[in-house]
Amino acid sequence: MERKKLDIGLYGFTGCNGDQLVIIHSEDKLLDFFASANIRSFSLAKSDNEQTPLDIAFIEGSISSQEQVEHVQEIRQRSALLVAIGNCACYGGIQAMELGREGWDRRFQSVYGENFFEVRTPIESKPIDAFVAVDFRLPGCPIDADQFFAVYSSLIRKTKPQMPDYPVCAECRWRENECLLLKGQLCLGPLIAGGCKAVCPSHNLPCVGCFGPVEEANVSSEFALLKEKGFTVEEIRRRLRIHSGSGVLKSLKNLFGEV
Amino acid sequence: MRAVKLKKSHLKGFLTCVGGWGELWGPVKRNGRHVLESIGDIKDIDLTALRTTLPFKKLLFPPKFSMFRYDANGFQDTLSAIPKRVIFGLHACDIKALCILDEFFAKEYKDPYYYERRNRTAIIGHSCIPDDKCFCNATDNETVTEGFDLFLSDLGDFYLVWVGSSLGDDMVRECPKLIDTNVGHEDLKKYIQFQKHRSEQFKRQIDLTGMPDIVELSMDSPVWEEEGEKCLSCGACTIVCPTCPCYNVNDENDLGKPSGERMRQWDSCMFREYSLVAGGHNFREARAERLKLRFTHKLQSFVGKFGKPACTGCGRCIDTCPVGIDIFTMVKKLQGEEVRS
Amino acid sequence: MSAAVEIQNPYLPEPYRLIRRYPLTDDVHFFQVRAVDMDRALSLKYSPGQFMMVSIPGIGEAPFSISSTPSRPGLIEFGIRRVGRITDQIFKLKENSVLGVRGPYGTGFPVDKMEGKNLVIVMGGLGAIPLRSLLQYALDNRDRFAHLALIYGARTPGDMLFRKEFLSLMDRDDIQCLLTVDKDDTGKWPGHVGLPTVLFKHLTNLNPKDTNLVVVGPPVMYKFIVAEALKLNIPKHQILMSLERRMKCGIGKCGHCIIGGYIYTCLEGPTFSYWDVTHMKGLI
Repeated sequence: MERKKLDIGLYGFTGCNGDQLVIIHSEDKLLDFFASANIRSFSLAKSDNEQTPLDIAFIEGSISSQEQVEHVQEIRQRSALLVAIGNCACYGGIQAMELGREGWDRRFQSVYGENFFEVRTPIESKPIDAFVAVDFRLPGCPIDADQFFAVYSSLIRKTKPQMPDYPVCAECRWRENECLLLKGQLCLGPLIAGGCKAVCPSHNLPCVGCFGPVEEANVSSEFALLKEKGFTVEEIRRRLRIHSGSGVLKSLKNLFGEV
Repeated sequence: MRAVKLKKSHLKGFLTCVGGWGELWGPVKRNGRHVLESIGDIKDIDLTALRTTLPFKKLLFPPKFSMFRYDANGFQDTLSAIPKRVIFGLHACDIKALCILDEFFAKEYKDPYYYERRNRTAIIGHSCIPDDKCFCNATDNETVTEGFDLFLSDLGDFYLVWVGSSLGDDMVRECPKLIDTNVGHEDLKKYIQFQKHRSEQFKRQIDLTGMPDIVELSMDSPVWEEEGEKCLSCGACTIVCPTCPCYNVNDENDLGKPSGERMRQWDSCMFREYSLVAGGHNFREARAERLKLRFTHKLQSFVGKFGKPACTGCGRCIDTCPVGIDIFTMVKKLQGEEVRS
Repeated sequence: MSAAVEIQNPYLPEPYRLIRRYPLTDDVHFFQVRAVDMDRALSLKYSPGQFMMVSIPGIGEAPFSISSTPSRPGLIEFGIRRVGRITDQIFKLKENSVLGVRGPYGTGFPVDKMEGKNLVIVMGGLGAIPLRSLLQYALDNRDRFAHLALIYGARTPGDMLFRKEFLSLMDRDDIQCLLTVDKDDTGKWPGHVGLPTVLFKHLTNLNPKDTNLVVVGPPVMYKFIVAEALKLNIPKHQILMSLERRMKCGIGKCGHCIIGGYIYTCLEGPTFSYWDVTHMKGLI
């Protein structure tokens, strides 16, 4: 059953390009990857990028300038499916960190003063879905290569990819790690979607939440547990902020109301 | 049952000898916890290991494995490359769990993935001294008389070795120089003393009598809701449970090709999608309902089917749940006791 | 012969050919398949109420009720609603393509015990799919059953599965065929209009002790139909139904279909009696 090859594009907006790097660094998959579709655009990997209609656009990075807003809208317009990859594209990333009441305008002012921006019109950084409809999210900082290729394989077969319905803890137990929460560390594992293979806890580093929330995160129980372990609301808040851009806060409604 | 003796100083030689039958696995210490690993150097085995983080089930049905390959020509079994193994260091509770799984995977349709591994696995048990989380005395799993090939009880300077199968007998006969077949009255007395000493070490008091009825009458208890509010749905309790066999199935495609593998991966009744059907209806939307399933299964329905609970008292869930929802606290709560979990 | 597999692998799908397919409604299609191995096709034994696992390589596997009758051997029929990842792909299959099927699985309706008695078949929505198997079985073995009645409630005539097939039964005098729709949007509907419960008044002169009533339909339907059946004094263990659950294996291993703590729907069900339902929690 020979299928017509799909037209695919990969784009990077504001971010470190780490997600595209994950793909490029999957040397064992690259030949199959480039053979599996017409890769019309891959901003980090090739220079002869074409701006053609696409079956699937993969977008990395958050949107932080007016020019990017227009570009992502233009990509959306010519793409049947738009997939946000990485924490920045899905949830806003560190540059969209929740910083409380102090507004973006004031922060921008205090960093850049009255400097004139020639090439760009900066705006407050936000995830992709703040500007265009996103069909599918593949989170992570960076994304997990195996998960990317599994999702990609499903999408090019035109079927909905299956994502873990369990938190990082499940993968952490599969790897036989000692539970860092039980060791009294501020680990966000129970709130965060699996898919990363519990890579941080496997190196004794507590989860900082780069894969974003798992669908039914039990926020109040995790908070009660962390407080019982002696962490203050401010400490929990600071940890959650790292990767909890506005996108996460939206899905963990009343996050700080509960503490 | 046939019993022989093995001097402690001969253990290394004996394990080297049985290692010839298959790849030797045993408990080793890694970052402060015990893990079952393939043993390169017998010195690495930690004889003081109590409960390994994951139970032996990871060797009989791994967390994730390929069931078969598919391609344009159909489906092809991938059952052939299963190695022979000797697992050393399972305790009585583990072996009881093994018996439960043996029965479960044989029921109605024999599961080839389990049995191809099981039939290539030899079990050498090792005695233990319970810690403050063990309660195998309450689940009737203090001693085992089946489910192993050999079982070693630590009686000071030697092991009393029960021979539980013809394979175990072959293993013993293969190293005649290391084995003392002369088991006398004094040895058995020592064994009985050891068992008595062991049974005095249990620190948890729990009585499972009547649990099936208590569970049946507790269907509307507020306990489920209270615990459901705490549960993180992380699945840790089911992952570490030696008798939890549930799994999910997913196809993994070779990139851009019509071929791939059908993968089987541990699932958990604590996960959101466990009872979700196509079309979106979830038969256990609430966490409380999922907890009810887990504990009804372990403490009630399983007893009705197999005459014993599906809990061996190994203490792994007590050791693992970050919010203290484990068999022990659930039993106490259902029995109406105030317990802090 | 070093690593010979001793146990037959019940998880391996068998190749089946898609013989025919056509729409029953917009989102429910009819699929007729046959084992590629002709001997296998002809020797396949099953009973009404059983199901099979259908595989689409690369996507997955799901359970589907058998809609054909064992009294017409060789071909297996399914009615499949397009509702998710797997059914999306099944709907893309063309006639004569090969797919993976294994089974039959589960406990079907106890037809042996039902013989000699009256049989009332009550369908709603997709419940027509498994119950068509029982209906055809009863029609093919008409002399083994006493009174035979069919009640089928659909939203509109267009939503009625197997509409032509069932309408043709209205002309027969060996089956009481009561078809109803909530709303007749065609103006040409020859059957009843209204909820299926009102049709129970037509079931007269049935000795309840000698009657089995089988109902399959959307969850909301069971309560009302069971109430009607109880009003007729049909014993609880002679009111039968079939339940839907998530299934990943079909053979009592994966765990997803467990109800009441240790009932594997795929082994002990999917058919249950109303008595089972009342003494086991969480069935409907």
